[in-house]
Amino acid sequence: MTDKRITIRAARFDPEKDKAPHPQSYDIPFSDDSMVVLDALNYIKAHVDGSLSYRWSCRMGICGSCGMMVNGTPKLTCAAFLRDYWPGPVTVAPLTNFPIVRDLVVDMEDFMHKLKSVKPWIIRKQEMPLGAGEHHQTMDQIDDFRQFSQCINCMLCYAACPVYGLDNDFLGPAAIALARRYNLDSRDQGTKIRLPVLAQSDGVWECSFVGECSVVCPKGVDPAKAIQQTKLDTTLRFVLPYGNRE
Amino acid sequence: MSAEADSTAHVATRVYKPPMGAGWWTRKRHYFLYMVREFTALPMALWLLWFLIEIQRAGGGVKTYRPGASTAFVIFSVICLLFALYHSVTFLSLAGVIIRIKALDRPVPPRAIVVTMFGLWLVASIVIGAVLIGFGR
Repeated sequence: MTDKRITIRAARFDPEKDKAPHPQSYDIPFSDDSMVVLDALNYIKAHVDGSLSYRWSCRMGICGSCGMMVNGTPKLTCAAFLRDYWPGPVTVAPLTNFPIVRDLVVDMEDFMHKLKSVKPWIIRKQEMPLGAGEHHQTMDQIDDFRQFSQCINCMLCYAACPVYGLDNDFLGPAAIALARRYNLDSRDQGTKIRLPVLAQSDGVWECSFVGECSVVCPKGVDPAKAIQQTKLDTTLRFVLPYGNRE
Repeated sequence: MSAEADSTAHVATRVYKPPMGAGWWTRKRHYFLYMVREFTALPMALWLLWFLIEIQRAGGGVKTYRPGASTAFVIFSVICLLFALYHSVTFLSLAGVIIRIKALDRPVPPRAIVVTMFGLWLVASIVIGAVLIGFGR
């Protein structure tokens, strides 16, 4: 079992030396079947090549830091088991559609800006005093938005989205899914504030429903659903006389 | 888009902007089927343009109108019909995902919405077909 080895072909890019990324192969021990791609990268960094750069944190699919392209598909590397890619080699590259800073690290600035633009937090016209108690919600009201609240901002959906790849101005799947999450929350009163960002030409209408964002989401969120539902909502708000109600 | 290392104002270091090749849609089956779905709109648009011309020709009256019936046109129409069916089925199958309706304060199941949509499609097709056949006589 411990004699098994697997080749990891990681993308390398040094902004001070390289004009473009190039692959570098590492032959590492595949010591047990529970090893994931992130374990392989950690092994390389600890024992083979300390200069390899990548993001990671929780190792349990919660933080969304370790998203990379594994054999051409956006994956959380902490949830991508090496046994599924045996006998390899396993190609690991930075998330597509993003500028590459170094090796497997991408520039998240554009996504963070877009995320902030949809105001993914509860907006109240007037905050209730703490003494008034908590906001009550029924289970049905929670079910309305529960799925969209599972997003961990891992950006795999952006890497899978050819629309974002072709036009970086597109607001993108995760930002719209999170806007939808708060628009559906019975405690929120910020739909009209988010609408100008969502309904602009680079918002929901840029999406042509490829649907790959929902396929690659590691948390079972359906961003394509959020986008199409928002299209319907914005249309109804526009055409129906009572559609613009809060 | 060309592959190039570039510098940005907000980040001191240079970054590499990966190019997106014209053949991106051949990388995955899902992308390919998406492109097929989008492409079906093109022959359908051409067929509808032809249909508008035929309506104009038919303006002269039933006695003078002769519909186009060449083999090539019939084949083109059959292909357009298949494309229209593919486009319609993919669109209506997704209706349950997109439409949120509540009945008796409970969400209507997506499957019920999809079945209703296909039912309405069938009824609309029969009605339109009956109207066209009726005018044809």
